Amino acid sequence: MIPGKYRSVSGRAANNVNCGLHLVIQTSSLPEKSKVEFKLNKETPSFPGRLLQHDLERNYSSRQGDHIHLASSSMPSFPVLQRSSEEKILYSDRLTLERQKLTMCPIIDGEEHLRLLNFQHNFITRIQNISNLQRLIFLDLYDNQIEEISGLSTLRSLRVLLLGKNRIKKISNLENLKSLDVLDLHGNQITRIENVSHLCDLRVLNLARNLLSHVDNLNGLDSLTELNLRHNQITFVRDVDNLPCLQRLFLSFNNISTFESVCCLADSSSLSDITFDGNPIAQESWYKHTILQNMTQLRQLDMKRVTEEERRMASVVAKKEEEKRRESHKQSLLKEKKRLTINNVARKWDLQQHRIPSIATNQDRNVSDSPSQDPVSAFPEETGSLDSGLTNALQGLSVLDTHLVEVDGDTLSLYGSGALESLDRNWSVQTAGMVTTVSFTFIEFDEIVQVLPKLKIKFPNSLHLKFKETNLVMLQQFNALAQLRRVDQLTIDPQGNPVVNFTLWKYYVLFRLSHFSMQKINGTEVTQNDMIMAERLFGILAHVASSELPQYRLISILGDARKKQFRYLLETKGKKPGLVSEENNDSKKLAGENTNRATLNYTTRDFYNERLEEIKEKKKFCKMYMEDLVKEATEINMKNEALQKLWPQMFIELVRDAVIEIRNKNSYMKLCLQQITDQK
Amino acid sequence: MLSPERLALPDYEYLAQRHVLTYMEDAVCQLLENKEDISQYGIARFFTEYFNSVCQGTHILFREFSFIQATPHNRASFLRAFWRCFRTVGKNGDLLTMREYHCLLQLLCPDFPLELTQKAARIVLMDDAMDCLMSFSDFLFAFQIQFYYSEFLESVAAIYQDLLAGKNPNTVIVPTSSSGQHRQRPTVGEASVLEGVEASLFYQCLENLCDRHKYSCPPPALVKEVLSNVQRLTFYGFLVALSKHHGINQALGALPDKGDLMHDPATDEELERLLAQIPGLVNSATANPEASCLPSRTPPRVGSPWRPLHHARKLDAESDGSTEETDESET
Repeated sequence: MIPGKYRSVSGRAANNVNCGLHLVIQTSSLPEKSKVEFKLNKETPSFPGRLLQHDLERNYSSRQGDHIHLASSSMPSFPVLQRSSEEKILYSDRLTLERQKLTMCPIIDGEEHLRLLNFQHNFITRIQNISNLQRLIFLDLYDNQIEEISGLSTLRSLRVLLLGKNRIKKISNLENLKSLDVLDLHGNQITRIENVSHLCDLRVLNLARNLLSHVDNLNGLDSLTELNLRHNQITFVRDVDNLPCLQRLFLSFNNISTFESVCCLADSSSLSDITFDGNPIAQESWYKHTILQNMTQLRQLDMKRVTEEERRMASVVAKKEEEKRRESHKQSLLKEKKRLTINNVARKWDLQQHRIPSIATNQDRNVSDSPSQDPVSAFPEETGSLDSGLTNALQGLSVLDTHLVEVDGDTLSLYGSGALESLDRNWSVQTAGMVTTVSFTFIEFDEIVQVLPKLKIKFPNSLHLKFKETNLVMLQQFNALAQLRRVDQLTIDPQGNPVVNFTLWKYYVLFRLSHFSMQKINGTEVTQNDMIMAERLFGILAHVASSELPQYRLISILGDARKKQFRYLLETKGKKPGLVSEENNDSKKLAGENTNRATLNYTTRDFYNERLEEIKEKKKFCKMYMEDLVKEATEINMKNEALQKLWPQMFIELVRDAVIEIRNKNSYMKLCLQQITDQK
Repeated sequence: MLSPERLALPDYEYLAQRHVLTYMEDAVCQLLENKEDISQYGIARFFTEYFNSVCQGTHILFREFSFIQATPHNRASFLRAFWRCFRTVGKNGDLLTMREYHCLLQLLCPDFPLELTQKAARIVLMDDAMDCLMSFSDFLFAFQIQFYYSEFLESVAAIYQDLLAGKNPNTVIVPTSSSGQHRQRPTVGEASVLEGVEASLFYQCLENLCDRHKYSCPPPALVKEVLSNVQRLTFYGFLVALSKHHGINQALGALPDKGDLMHDPATDEELERLLAQIPGLVNSATANPEASCLPSRTPPRVGSPWRPLHHARKLDAESDGSTEETDESET
């Protein structure tokens, strides 16, 4: 009859409210669906068995001699209830009308002392005709068809109101029930909690098996100790921290999936017992310890006691999770920064390549690098400024970098031409030694060529080079890679490197860099056939380049290359002379490895033009010099020719003069003697 | 040496015709540039080596474009060097794009201009679809014509345009700004109905051009031969015919005939030697087919196809056109 858990509430032993009644109802004008037949009580009331068709309850004990007289009521539709006076005296304060197939509340006359009224298991659709029962404390309308809470406005003493298993859609019309202690609305169709803020004495509120989707509006329920919200569709809970006495909260079988949706529970200091089973949150791996960590006041979770051990574990796990989350947050921040930087570099690159029309917006503020993410490779040499740069990043400032340098285990990635300067940095031997792959992106190949000697020194183990968007357009550019110590793998990304479109590029690379014995190009293994083909295609070129060049050209070309390397080396700061000579030996050794290819060099266009400019002066001088020589030669030639022409005539004149002189022997002798004496 | 024609010219002209000054200037320039290295083994030896290399045609290797272009001998040497170095590419059968050929050219001359290669490609592709692939021999012969006779071809292009426009360039025209308009005038009559210009008229203009041109041009007799075969021809048709003409190729003397283009036994031997040096290579199978097919294909002139240029010229002056048409089967 009255559900057991409410026993203590009403404060009286009300479990066996046996009202032995014989109920006869005259309902001629009622639309009657029930199979019950209603008879007029004209017969003797001493046959309780005959009259009571619905004596089903076990608690229902028939009494002898109880009978009611049902008089015709004043209103044609409402039945009127009367009890025998014996009954009235025996059970003056309680009235049970269970399973009476009532479709409406009967008018109850002369029972103004009634304190307990039980209408369970009927078909009542509206609460009516009980306004006169102003002493009512306990009203049970469980399992009826009530659609709306109404007709209770006079029951100011009501303490227990049981409206479970009805069709109530809205909580309303409870304004005057200020003494309400227990309100049971389970099994209805209620969608919102409302109009309960005045119930400051309410201790138990049952809203299980309703249609609630969220919980709020709980302020004012200052005495609430137990709140049952099982079997709803609740996704979030609010305002629970406004309930100062709440001890038990049942949220089983709802739709709660995150702790954030019930985070107000953490602030409720009174809560000691909570259930979440049947929610999505209970399936999560972090469920238990998150709840325990956030609700340290809990004694029971899901109807099981919380042990100290569990609490400790929970806090440990929670701490670890927090750390992990912080770490991953930091990682994602840095990753985002990296992505932004790369985007910026890419945009600058495209601008440079005239792919997009230049918009003068690029502001590059701090040209700071973002150093390694690898926790192992700490940089003790880094200055404080870089550290602050990192924390700045963490604070979410958007700094537009123009280049990016990243060391990730064995890969050194350089984005943007400014990144090449980072090769000058003091890399720790350990980090530099680990790097086997160097990747260049968004940098002009000609600029990379200039730092290759530095690369060779600083990262001696770099075996794999990757180029993307580096403007490789000529086969000749690969000649520049020959100066490195060793390259095992080469990856030229087609994007931004037109050279890959050539049919012969791989063979040329294999040919020119044959002394490296490369293993892979662009991911595919190099086969013996490839090497043969490369040699077959370009072998003659090597032969011509070495044996058919005149000696002085060989020397000058090789000398040029060496001179250039010196220049690059000398440009780096803090170079010890000892190291320089080591490089000298190194390059000599290299030249010795493949002499027939060594003359195939690559000078960047700028240097080439520079050299041509330098030569112009010399050329001018040579031209002038030659012109002088030619002038001299032609003059001599002219004179020669003129002499040739004039000589016969001159010769004849000479002879004629001589003959004329000797014609007169005597005078000639005299003349000669005269000349001799004159000479003395 | 003391041929009368030589003495007939005044000094400067003689020197200029033989481009002696160019080589002298270049030699002195090279000397200046590398004086530290060269002073080690003597200037006389340097000059010997220099002029030897000029004779052999190796002086243009890895030199700047302005030098390569300077004299016809340089140009011919460059063509020959290109042929020798990359004949293997052609032999391999690869078809390459214009850009790739340009890359190969740049391997020998770093600042070779792209326009020349483009013009050469236009000859091969008949000014159509510039990204098409070309075979080595096609490209090489077209490139030869374009590079060796580049100034001549420019003038020919101008003449062609004039003829298309219906003007006869034999009449003396003072170049004014309106000459450009002539080209744009719609070509009525010939050009709209038929393509190109009339061959005989074209030849007359070219003959005049050859007479007064100071740059090198193909022998007029051969040009006449080319033009006599057709009624009308377009500009590129003319160039294609030029490039494919055996006689002109021989007159140039830089490249062997088309049939022999892939064969050069001397360098083949070199190549085999180089290949043998690759470690772990089993090449007996590859070597033999080469050696076996060589003897059967060697025409009588295999000894040293590369004769000094003046020698070839002399031949040309004596004989009228090429009479040594060897019967080769196309590969």
